[in-house]
This record gives sequence, C-alpha cells and structure tokens, in this order.
Amino acid sequence: MPISAPEPLLSVAGLSAGYGKITVLHDVSLTIRPGEIVALLGPNGAGKTTLLCAVSGLLPWTGTVHFGGADLAGLSPRETARRGLVHVVEGHRVFTQLSVADNLLLAGYDVPRGERAARVDEALSHFPEIAAKRADKAGALSGGQQQMLAVAQGLVRRPRLLMLDEPSAGLSPVLVDRVLAVAAALRANGTAVLLVEQLIEKALRLADRVYALAQGRIVLEAATSEDDLPHRLERAYFGHDVPTALHG
Amino acid sequence: MRALLPYLVIFAAALALPLVANDYWAVIGARAAVYWVLVAGLNLVVGYGGQLAIGWVALLTLGSYTAAVLCQRFDLNPFLAYAAGGGLGALAGVVVGLPALRLRTFYFAMTTLGFATIVTQVALAWQSVTGGGIGLPGPALSPPFDAPWGFYLLCLGFAAVVTWMTANIGAGRYGRSLVAMRDAEVAAESVGIGKARLLIIVFLFSGFTAGVAGGLFATLQSYITPEAFSFDLSVTFFIAILVGGRGSILGPLIGNVLLTLLPEVAAPLVAWSTFLYAALLLVIVLLIPGGIASLLDFRNRKPLDSTRTIVPRPELLASLLADPPIGKPIALRNVVLAFGGVRAIDGLDLMVQPGKVHGLIGPNGSGKTTTLNVISGYYVPQEGEVYLGDRSLPHGAPQSRAALGIARTFQTPRIIGEASVLQNVMIGASVDGRASFMETALTLPRHRADEQRLTARAMDALRVVGLDALAAVRADRLQHSELRFMEIARALAGRPTFLLLDEPAAGLSADEIMRLGALTKAVAEAGTGVLLVEHHADLIFDICDEVTVLNLGRELAAGTPAEIRSHKEVVSAYLGA
Amino acid sequence: MLPAILAAGLAVGGVYALIGVTYNIMFAASRVMSFTAGQLGMLGGVFGALFINHMGLPMPVGFAATLVACGVIGIATEIIAVRPVLKALDQHLYVLSTLGFALMIQTFTAIEWSTEPQPFPRLFSIGDGGPLDEKFWLPLVACVATLVGLELLYRHTLVGRAFLAIAEDNFAARAIGLPERNLRIASFALAGAVGGLAGFAGGELLLAFFANGPMLNFLGFVPVALGGLGNNRGAVIGGLALGVFQQAANFLVGGVFASVAVFAVFIIVLLAAPQGLFGAAAARRV
Repeated sequence: MPISAPEPLLSVAGLSAGYGKITVLHDVSLTIRPGEIVALLGPNGAGKTTLLCAVSGLLPWTGTVHFGGADLAGLSPRETARRGLVHVVEGHRVFTQLSVADNLLLAGYDVPRGERAARVDEALSHFPEIAAKRADKAGALSGGQQQMLAVAQGLVRRPRLLMLDEPSAGLSPVLVDRVLAVAAALRANGTAVLLVEQLIEKALRLADRVYALAQGRIVLEAATSEDDLPHRLERAYFGHDVPTALHG
Repeated sequence: MRALLPYLVIFAAALALPLVANDYWAVIGARAAVYWVLVAGLNLVVGYGGQLAIGWVALLTLGSYTAAVLCQRFDLNPFLAYAAGGGLGALAGVVVGLPALRLRTFYFAMTTLGFATIVTQVALAWQSVTGGGIGLPGPALSPPFDAPWGFYLLCLGFAAVVTWMTANIGAGRYGRSLVAMRDAEVAAESVGIGKARLLIIVFLFSGFTAGVAGGLFATLQSYITPEAFSFDLSVTFFIAILVGGRGSILGPLIGNVLLTLLPEVAAPLVAWSTFLYAALLLVIVLLIPGGIASLLDFRNRKPLDSTRTIVPRPELLASLLADPPIGKPIALRNVVLAFGGVRAIDGLDLMVQPGKVHGLIGPNGSGKTTTLNVISGYYVPQEGEVYLGDRSLPHGAPQSRAALGIARTFQTPRIIGEASVLQNVMIGASVDGRASFMETALTLPRHRADEQRLTARAMDALRVVGLDALAAVRADRLQHSELRFMEIARALAGRPTFLLLDEPAAGLSADEIMRLGALTKAVAEAGTGVLLVEHHADLIFDICDEVTVLNLGRELAAGTPAEIRSHKEVVSAYLGA
Repeated sequence: MLPAILAAGLAVGGVYALIGVTYNIMFAASRVMSFTAGQLGMLGGVFGALFINHMGLPMPVGFAATLVACGVIGIATEIIAVRPVLKALDQHLYVLSTLGFALMIQTFTAIEWSTEPQPFPRLFSIGDGGPLDEKFWLPLVACVATLVGLELLYRHTLVGRAFLAIAEDNFAARAIGLPERNLRIASFALAGAVGGLAGFAGGELLLAFFANGPMLNFLGFVPVALGGLGNNRGAVIGGLALGVFQQAANFLVGGVFASVAVFAVFIIVLLAAPQGLFGAAAARRV
C-alpha cells in the first residue's frame, strides 16, 4: 500500500461521543483512504463500537467527520448509508422473522425499485452458502450464516466504506476466514473497510493500517508492515505509558 | 424549619378562610381538604412509589358506600363508619395494588382503571345495598360538625394530620426506599429494600386514607350516587400529584388545591376542566417533568462550582467501618450459569478473602459481571453454590445480600437522580433502619434515632469519598465520575464486609482513577473484602492482592499481579491472538 | 339463547379484537402502549355518525372520511404524545403523555359532540335485528378484512416488511438505513385507521358515545394482555373469546357480575402469565 495515498475517503477529527452523561470517546481523529482495510483494535470498553455508531449517525457526536468530501454533521444513518458509508453492527442482528431475501431487500430500501433484485443477487454472490437459502427465514440460519447475511446487507448498498463491527464474534475459525476473505475481495474492488476485530493476529494479517483505541482515545496508529506491532499494542493496552494508579 | 414554612402558611390561610369567606366557600374548602386526604395517601403510591394508579377513585367509592350504608342501616356512629370505610379501603388498596408487584406501568394502570370501572358498575347494580342509581344519604354528623364551617374545620383537621404523617413518611426511610424502588429498582434490591413488603404497607396506608376520604366525601355530598365517582375525578387526583411533582408533599398539596379551586374561580371553564387538566398533564410531562415542586426547588438552581474535584479521604474509613466483623471469605464452588445455550459461567471456583482486593479481569463476555451478579443474587446459577464462610447464600434473592454485609456498585451507576446526594447514600444503610412504618408516620423516638444514625453514617461515607460538600445537591446534577464515587459511598454506608465493584474506573480521568485506587485499597485495609471487576489493567495490577483472569466463563489464570502480568496465555487472551 | 349470545359476543369481540390490533400496531412501531387506542374506536363511531347522519355524506364517503380522520388522530398521537417521550429513559412517561392526550380527545368529544349516546346510521339495512343482523356480523367482517389486509401488507410489500423489521429490532433497522421515523408515523396512521374501523363497524352496536373510549381502552387491552403484545392473531382470538365470555356471563348471571368476571379473569391471567398466553420471556435487568 503506497503511503502517498490520495485524498482520504473518511476523515474524523476531534470526535467526542458517548451515552447521556458518559463521554466514551475523547477527541478521536483518524482517516481512511479509498480501497484500504483499516483495523480498529482495543480492549473492551475502549469505545470501538461507539466510534462506529457515531460515524454512521446512530449516536450523536461532536467534532468533524467528512466522508468523500461531504460533512456528515447531523446526518441520520439513512443519509450516511445513502452516501456509501455502511455500518454492519455487532452481533449479526438480522431480522429473524423475515426471509434471507427480504432481509436483503430491506437493506436496499432506498435503492431504486428496479435495481433491488440485481443488488441482492450481487451481494449474495459473495456468499453462496446463504444464496442457497434465500427463501428461508433468517432465524433458521446458523450464527455464522447470520453474520454473512448481515455483511451481505451492507453490500447491497454498494458501499464505498464498509464498517464491520466484530464480524468474527462467535464464529468458528473457518467461517471467520470466510467473512474476512470477503473484506479482502472488497478491497480488490476499491471498497474501503474499517474492521473492528478481537482476533488481532487475523486482523493484522488482513489490514493495511491499524489504529488502537484505549479508554476512548487513539493510542496507536501504524501500518501493519511495521515491526514489533504486537508488542506495541500490548504496551498500549496495558497502559505502561499511562501514569500508574497509586504512584503516578 | 424553613421547610415547614410553606405548610404553615397554607394551614394559616386555611384557618383564616372562615373569617373572610361565605358558606359556599366552606363547601369548596371542605372538598379540597377531603380530596387531599385521598391524594396525600395516593401521593405515596404515585409520587413516591412511581406506581401509575389511575383508578384510585374506586377506593373513594368503597369508603363512601361503606360509611353511608353503616350509618343508614346500622345507625353506626359516623366516625366509626369513617374508620370502617378506611379499613375496607386499606384492604381494597392491597388487592388493587398487589398486581404492581408483577405488572409494570401501563399494565398496572390498566388494572386500576378496570377496577374503578367494576366498582362503579357494582355500585350501580347492587340496588338492595347501594340504592343503585338513586343512591343513598351520606353519614350525617352531629353539632358542631353539621354546620358548613364546622365540617370544614373537621376536614381540615384530617387533612393536616394526613399531611403531617405523609411528610414524615416521605422524608424518612420508607419515602427514600419508595423513590429508590421507583428510580433504581435494582440498586434498591442490592441495599436490601424488599419491594413486596414496602408496597403492601404503602397500599394499606394509601387505601386507608382513601377510604376515610370516601366517608368524609359522603358526608360532604350528603347524598351519594355512582355518578359522583366519575373517572374524571380519579384522573384529577392523579394529575394533581403529577402537576405537583413526584417525590414531594408540598407540590401535590398545591396541585390539589389548584385543581379543586380552578373551576370555582373560572366558572366558564367548568365544562372544560377535565380537558384542561388533561392538557396540563401533557404539558407537565413534556415540558416540566418535575412539576410544581421543581419550580419551587430554588436550592438546586444555584450553579455548582465547575472546577470542583473529588478528593477522597480514606483515612476516615476507620470511623465509618468501625470494628468490622471478623470476615469469612466468599467462595464460589463450581458455579455454572447458561443463558440459552451459552455458558456465561462454566464451572467457576473463586475465593474472595476479607481485607484483600481481588481483581477479576478478562475479555468481553468472559463472565466477570455475570459472576458478580451471581454473588449478589440477581442470577440463579444452574449448578454450584455461593458460600459466605460455611453458609450457602440463597440464589435469586438480591435483597438478602445487604443484611449479610455484601454491597455492590453497578457498571452504569444506578442512582436516584431526583433525590439529594445525601439521600442517595442513606439508601445504602436502609437495612439498619429499625422503626416501623407507623413509628415513622408518627415520628416516634425510634424513627428519630434511625434518621440521626443513618444521616451521620451517610455523611461519614460522603466524607470518605470526598463528596460531603455536595450532600444537599440533587444527584442528577453531578458529573459522571462523581456518581461513581457516590455509588461507592452508598455501598460503604451499609458498612459492608464485602464490596463488589463493577468497572468503577470506567469514564474516570487518570487522576480520578488514581484516587479510586487508593480508596479501594484503603477499604480493603480496613477489613472489607473487595472484588473488583475492571478493564483498566494498570489499576488492577496496581492495587490487587490477587487477580483472577476469566475467559469463556472459566478461570484462565489466578495469582498475584506480578504472576498474571507475565502469564503468556493472559497476554494472548487480551490480545486475542 | 345460544345464537344470540354468540352473535352479540362475536360482534363485540370483533371490536375488542380490532382495538387490540390497534394497540399492537402502535406498539410494534414504537414500544409504546397508547391510551388513545380505545379513543380511536370511540371516534370511529362518532365520526361515522357525524359524517353520515349529520353531514349527510353517502355511506362509502363517510366511511372513507372516518378512516382518514382517525388516521390523522393516529398521526397526532405520534407527534404529540409519543415522539417527545421516546428518548426519555423514564419508562412511565409515555403512559402519562398518551393518557393526557386520550383524555383530551375524550372530553373534547363529550363537550363538542354529546354526553349522551347518539344513534349510528344503518349501513346496509340487512337483517331484522336477529342474530344475523348486519350489526352483529359487520365487526367480524371488519376483523377478518383487517387481518387479511395486514397479512398481505406484511408478506407482500416492502413497507410491510419494514414494519416487521422495526418491530423486531429498531436499532438494526436504523443501522441498515430504514427511514424509522417515517415508518413510525405510517404505523400510527394505520393504527388510527384500524381503530376507526373498529368503531365504525361496531357503531350500530355501541353507538356514537364518548364514554366508549375508556371502555374500549380496557376491553381492547384485555385481548392484547391475553394474546401477548404484538401478536395480532393472539389479539383476535383473545378478543373474540372475551366477547363471547362477556356476553355469556351477561345472559347467565347479569351485567355486573359479567364485568366482575371479565376483570377477575384478566387479573388472574396477567398475574399467572404477565407476558400473555402466547408471549415471550422477559428481558434481563442487570
């Protein structure tokens, strides 16, 4: 991946967000360029999911967020999705009462009617295992298949940036590789991916760059080609650089 | 004393009414007083307890007919008849109220609405007793109470007594417990407040005042028919409380007077009064959820010092946790807990020693908070036991833990936003209250001793965490980090032998985390065992005597911080590789 | 006697069932139980009498106007009493805001319409008042038509599926970019029309009477409580059963005890199965 990349696709600066009184993210800045995979890592409670929700408009935030040159301030998830910024939320939350095909059609609610069926087929082409079950209720799918369906829902929008929140949670290693392989395939098509992942080794192998988040702040930014990353991540997580609690 | 002033002003004005107004106003005044006897009791249910009892007119109806029938058929003394009406009202109050133990908000509101409909229909149809649509005469009083002003003063006396009693209850331990149950039910259970007992007592009391009000109402009307007990009336009672403000006595009192007088001073509005009340309810809910009481709350308008910092004083712990009982360890033996097919805890053994800080860490979903919830009784494990010393703790009984000396905090602070910081912390010492409900209502010595003791204890706890300067401030004005320390103060106010902390450092600044660490360590040194669930690895490694690492509901490693830090598997579980 | 009980029971049961469906549609879109559900039923009767008897509109036009007017009231409920409290953490607020709005509707009707029951027009003049009279089967027809209509909507249109998606997982629905707010408004309009249909179809039975509001609020809620929130088929079965039970008790033991019996059954079922007879388990609290 060349470092002198073009204009960033997503640029976040000075972002703060949280729930009610609790501010989870403090002054977060990051950029994502077209066609790169960026891994967002960090311990539990660091604010990774909050960051994704803020950027996609599911949570209110302050700061500046630009996507493809446009300001995202005050936009709803529907509007960010229309601009090509798609968020696949954590926990394969598909609509279990609806069929696989209906789940995908709903994801294309804003797509012109005539184009919907083609978009659904296109999204399913990445996942032959669920394409065969398109008439089944989503509730009848396995956890891994539901995760594929959730990713496919995101693909229906033909995203320019796909944000995946822990797509591997609860999946067997084989399925994890399947889902992550799709991310690689998307990159080949020029789609950028922001990946929140617990499986750090897999994420580092796949991604071009990595950000680490701890206690709501970015504590590390690096290219995955750099040396000694696991060690540096460990330092960032365990907070050896942070003043220690009693003797600080 | 300043708190008393508004009541004295209202009472003096009410006493002066006969001097300035004609007989017509005696009837209006008596009506306001009679309604207040009901509304004051209902206020404990609705305003304090947060139970949406919209059909309380049913109890007024019962009380009215009971008193009227007893006087007419059995020639009973009217005052005894009032008491009998109150008794039946109390009984019915419990019957109507009991579903509140299982049903929430809308469901409970519907059951009371249904009950109100039924009572009116029975009154209409049971002609042999109630006279049906024709009705029957209310109890007639003998002199001096048969004159308009005589009856007015009698009703005023009832109203004054009920005001005094409910004010005592509201300001005391039962009032605080009700509000805690309303705004932070889970926290209320954790400090040992038993919902069933509390609500039953309050429904009894509230039913009693409604029944007595019914008897007085029958006398006031001099002749009662089912039409007098319309649903509009019920809604007026309910709205008076919400317009007045939840968790206040003065607010609903003013609300009640306003709603009773409004149609009298603006005659053209009479037909529209219920419409206006309904609109008022909507406006209050949407714009001023605190009602009149919040408008009168001048003290909480003063801006707080925005540069304030929390400085705990762990050295004061000795006076708060004076001579802790010789602690026995908490031990989990082979605990298994599954949600659906997922084993959140999968055969866990864990020993938490008194006087030590025990850290519990692990990746998301590893079962840390679940473990804490098993110990504090919220979850029932499918296998295994939790022991305190050699005694096995009852499962699924969170309200039993406080009395055993186990206190806790929550991942998201569970606080009572509308109560003061001091009241929030006093909640933590609820199990040490001795006075009965009636002792509190009549402010007998045991109640006063309770209040003194609990206030002193809560102030001690606030000094320990460094929030004593904010004791009188409404809790929802505090910053997030202050709420975390307030929760710890609440837990400490119960003088626990074990303190369970669920991610206490989340959302705190580095400085605050440092102080939290020092405080936690001091709590353990004072003899209380601490179980600390935390993500901040640095805090864990700094203050824990022992650390257990969970992964997938099992113990991955256990040992001293130094051992854990160099443990290969722990590092990889954290890094997910 | 049996035909009379069945005819009257199924008829009022059909009205209760439709009010139950009204509750359900609003709940599915917003997680809010609204006190306006019964008022919409009451308004269906009042608007029907107003448009046809008083204003002299032809029956089909009056019918359409009733549904539109009730749909507008449904939308007003969403804007005035539901949307402002949706974000509030305090669970009880919607009970109060919808109660306030419902009371305003009810008292406004009492003052501007009448406090006495007013006659409702004969719609088709079929039947002679016996068990096969139109007033007994119209509510059933409305009930069946609503169920079939909803089923078609949910199964065969994207909007219908979007309703289902929002009902199942509001957060995920927003995340995939569904226009949640517009769908909620549409749901409330639909709920208003169904409530209006209930009152219109049952108008010849219940008349145009302002006090029908709280009565339908309660008796329409019973089938929801029995059938489980959000379960339309459960609500219809529960509503019809309730109607027959109530009428049977009416004939056998008299009106008062019928009411007491309905209330007793309601309380017992609620306490025994708070999630309804066909409902799901409660969520975690801690």
